[in-house]
Amino acid sequence: MTRLSKQTLDGNVETLILAVLESGPSYGYAIVKELNERAEGILQLGEGTIYPVLYRLEEKKLIAARWRLAENGRQRKYYRLISKGHKALATNRRQWQMLSAAMGKVLGSAENLLPQPQVKGATI
Amino acid sequence: MSRALQKYLDQVILYANRKEKESVKIRAELEDHLRQKTADLAARGVPREDAVFGAIEDHGTARTVGYGLRKGFALLDVRTEGTARGFVAIGPRAVGIIAFGNVAVGLFAFGNIALGALAFGALAIAGLLSLGGISLAPLGAAVGLAAVGQGAFGMIACGGLAVGLQVPWAIDGVSLLSGENGLQFLQHFQTHEGTVALVAITAWLFLMFPIMNGVMCSIKRNEYLRIKKADPKLVE
Repeated sequence: MTRLSKQTLDGNVETLILAVLESGPSYGYAIVKELNERAEGILQLGEGTIYPVLYRLEEKKLIAARWRLAENGRQRKYYRLISKGHKALATNRRQWQMLSAAMGKVLGSAENLLPQPQVKGATI
Repeated sequence: MSRALQKYLDQVILYANRKEKESVKIRAELEDHLRQKTADLAARGVPREDAVFGAIEDHGTARTVGYGLRKGFALLDVRTEGTARGFVAIGPRAVGIIAFGNVAVGLFAFGNIALGALAFGALAIAGLLSLGGISLAPLGAAVGLAAVGQGAFGMIACGGLAVGLQVPWAIDGVSLLSGENGLQFLQHFQTHEGTVALVAITAWLFLMFPIMNGVMCSIKRNEYLRIKKADPKLVE
C-alpha cells in the first residue's frame, strides 16, 4: 500500500492529533491507534514520533496534559484539547478543506489519486 | 520489564538529553506505550519476545525518537546525525546563532559550507564577513583564497575594495584597489603602527577559525564520548 511521505505529513500531524483529541481526552498509544484506524493504514505513523508533536502542542498551549492512574495501576499521561486548540483545529480544518478542494480541481478527483499498489513510500 | 525495552528506553533518553526530572516523565510515558503495544501484539498471538521487538520497531529508532524529543531550540544542541538546532548548534548540519557543522547556517557559521552574518569555512557566504577558501560577502568583507565582497582580500580578490595578488578579472568599474593598486594600498601600512595593525587584523581573522574549530570539535567529541560511555555500540 502507498504511504504518505514524511514531507507530505510534516505540519499536518499536529492537526491530525488535534482532531483525534477533539472527541475526548486520550493518551499516546491510544492516539496512535486511533489515527491509524481512522486513516485506514495510509498514514502508518512511526509511533514514537508523535510524542515530540504532543509535547510541542502542549508547549503551544493547544492541549493540556494530566497524569492519571490507568486501569493497569500505572500512571498514564492523558491529553485533552483546550480552547486555543479548538480554535487552531477549526482554522486548520478550514484551510485543509480549501487546499484539498483546490488540489482536487487541479489534479483530478479523489478516485484518480487513489494509491497504486506495490509502490513503497516513506513513513515518519 | 524486558531488557530489550529497558535498553531501548535508555538509548532514547540518552539521545533526548533532557533534564533528569523531564527524562523520568518521558521515560514513564514511552514505557507505558511500549508495554501496551507489546501486550496488544501478544494478544494477537505474536510470541512474547517477538512482540517486544515488534513494539520497539514500530516505535522508531532510538536516535530518531530521542532527537525528536530534544528541546525545540536549546542553548546547546550537539548531534551526531541530522540537523542540530540551538543557540549553539553542532552537528553534521547545524542551524543556530553559533552554528558548526559540515553545513552550517547561523549568525556565526563555521563549516565546510557556512552561511551566515559571519561565516567561516571552505565555502563561506556571509552578509558581513566571510573567511574561507572561497569567500563571498556581497555586502561585507571577504577574506580567502578567492574573495568576493565589498571589501575583498585574497589571492583572487574582487569587489569594491579589493586587495589581491592576482586579480585579472577584478579590474572593473568598482574595483578601485585591485592588482597594482592593491599593492599601493598596502603601502599605506608601511609605518610600524600600520604594519602591526594590519598583521593583527589579519591574524585575528585567521586565528578565529581554528580556535572556534577547536572549541566546537571538543564539544562534539564530548557528545560522542557521552554516547559511547552509555553504549559503545551506538557510536560504532
